[in-house]
Amino acid sequence: MLNLLHYPRLLIQELRVGDWLVVLAGLLCVFYLFQTLWSNEHATKVQIRLGDKIYATYSLNQQREVHVHGKLGDAVISIAQGKARFAKSPCHTQYCVHQGWLTRAGQAAICLPNQISLELLGETKPYDSLNY
Amino acid sequence: MKPTHIQTTIDDHRIAKLAAFAIALHMVEAIIPSPLPGVKPGIANIVTLYVLYRYDFKTAAWVSILRVFASSLLLGQFLSPGFVLSLSGALLSLGVLWLGMHLPKQYFGPVALSILAAFGHIAGQLLIVRLWLIPHTGVAYLIPIFALAALFFGLMNGLITSRLLAKKSVQMSAKK
Amino acid sequence: MRKGAISFLFVAILILGAFFLKSCFKEPIYHSQSYVFGTLVDISIYGETDERASLVANHVLQDFQDLHNRLHAWKPVAGNKPSGPQLSELGQLNAAFQKGNQPITISPDLAKMLIDATALSVKSNGLFNPAIGNLIGTWGFQRDEFNPVIVDDNKIKSLVKSNPCMTDIVISNNTAYSNNPMVKLDLGGYAKGYALDIAADYLRKQHVKNALINIGGNIMAIGQHHDQPWRVGIQHPRLPTAIATLDLPDGWAIGTSGDYQRYFMLNGQRYCHIIDPRSGYPAQHTQSVTVLVPPQAHSQTQAGVLSDVVSKPIFIEAPENRTKAALAFGIDNFMVIDDKSNIFVSKKMAQKLHWIDSGVKFTTLP
Repeated sequence: MLNLLHYPRLLIQELRVGDWLVVLAGLLCVFYLFQTLWSNEHATKVQIRLGDKIYATYSLNQQREVHVHGKLGDAVISIAQGKARFAKSPCHTQYCVHQGWLTRAGQAAICLPNQISLELLGETKPYDSLNY
Repeated sequence: MKPTHIQTTIDDHRIAKLAAFAIALHMVEAIIPSPLPGVKPGIANIVTLYVLYRYDFKTAAWVSILRVFASSLLLGQFLSPGFVLSLSGALLSLGVLWLGMHLPKQYFGPVALSILAAFGHIAGQLLIVRLWLIPHTGVAYLIPIFALAALFFGLMNGLITSRLLAKKSVQMSAKK
Repeated sequence: MRKGAISFLFVAILILGAFFLKSCFKEPIYHSQSYVFGTLVDISIYGETDERASLVANHVLQDFQDLHNRLHAWKPVAGNKPSGPQLSELGQLNAAFQKGNQPITISPDLAKMLIDATALSVKSNGLFNPAIGNLIGTWGFQRDEFNPVIVDDNKIKSLVKSNPCMTDIVISNNTAYSNNPMVKLDLGGYAKGYALDIAADYLRKQHVKNALINIGGNIMAIGQHHDQPWRVGIQHPRLPTAIATLDLPDGWAIGTSGDYQRYFMLNGQRYCHIIDPRSGYPAQHTQSVTVLVPPQAHSQTQAGVLSDVVSKPIFIEAPENRTKAALAFGIDNFMVIDDKSNIFVSKKMAQKLHWIDSGVKFTTLP
């Protein structure tokens, strides 16, 4: 066993193609499990901030496009099927647009030049259904 | 009353010896405290895998099952939840080994089988946990940790087995 | 070749196994949301496979849609007759009422509903009155969108004076006529509750043990959510959050009448869809009324209908008579939020509510 620890290169040689495949598949599997089971805080709302103020909070269930007038100009935020993203932004960098869809609670996309940010809010709902 | 003699074969002796070795490893592991309940290296599986390669599936299965029964008797947890967990894990991991055995040998070595068996092991145990011990989904968040442990210890055990097998073949060829 | 096949099989078995394991750890809860009944219908089913849950849920939604089409108070529904869209069953009945007292045939379940609604209307001293369709229409609430309406006070007065009552309707042998041509039925305050009862009945017959049905805010519980009762939140009438939550045990229903769903603003005044039949004007001294209804005896009006109906008379009734209005229906679990946002909770209800904001001040009604 000590041998093993002393010769890491031997370890590598020990593995065949299929072994590597299995290791890789195992890693993917573990990664997937962490992703799905450790994020039960699934997002339900998106909060849009303009400057230092909360501009609006929308449910992620309803499909909509939100136009927000930021410091540089109009940004378009798309909300659909539990996700939200910057669809259009007047900024030069376009970092915010390239962030793509936000899907998980706590994820955020920030457009610094235009001073608009999105954050997905996870809500462990305190109730099963709402009486209104 | 006539004393009955049980005829034992060389196979039986071999299985007994190997199982004894596996039981010893199992006991060692039972003594070492685990940082997280349920996460164990499963070094006894090295014996099962080794036997599968040196002999055949039948012997490996015998060794594995004997190990589960004997260890639980020795630890005083026969038929307890711990025993059932151990057994279901061993059975599913044997099932996976049986399937894995048929994979092309030139690509898939002991490491692959060891990892697969380790995943089979936790899958078997989780099934029992879900269906019997904790029949709700509350333990789901532990699964990723179990899977990570299975991957890591499966890899380690596989490497050790692979070394042991290599050594043995070197010894054998030296004897010749 | 053979080895390839074996590898393939191996991978397939592993993947199947993984999915099986995963399905074991998934919480067996099914949610469906859709727009039927002109409102949001939300069905949760616990403890059934997704396939079966979606099957029964779709059946329930289909029933709702059918009921909606039959009971629609103002929209012609697309019929399968070549003559094109025609009136709903309720619409036809209303047209017949208007024409005179010639009995027309109605379906048995509608007859049952009308008899039940009449009894409830009498119990509420006429404050729950589904016969005031003309008033509701005049206020512009028989539309999909509500725009400010400036009403003619004289028209309202004359409509009130025409005194349409449920007791004007005569029902026998599945035929109905009205002694008062001004009776125009609008079952808006009854149908959702009735649909809840239908759905609960159907789900129980299908041996669905745990479900929560929410039709436009009226909720009925069957069984529970895993090992705890279903939990519902009560909407704050002025804020976009819940004000409190409570456990809804098996067979219980909860309903709220509020001035924040169907209303319009005119000159800073809020005009909601809950109209006091005595004055002909929307009730303006209440923001919301929530009633919690226990399961009812089989021969009685069921919990769903009561959860829809009973909140209305409490909403309309003068503050000092609210408890009396509730007790007339045997309801002792209710909450009222008045136009000044003061909260009044019945003694029994107070024990059941969990306030979201711990600093909430409320008055307990004796």
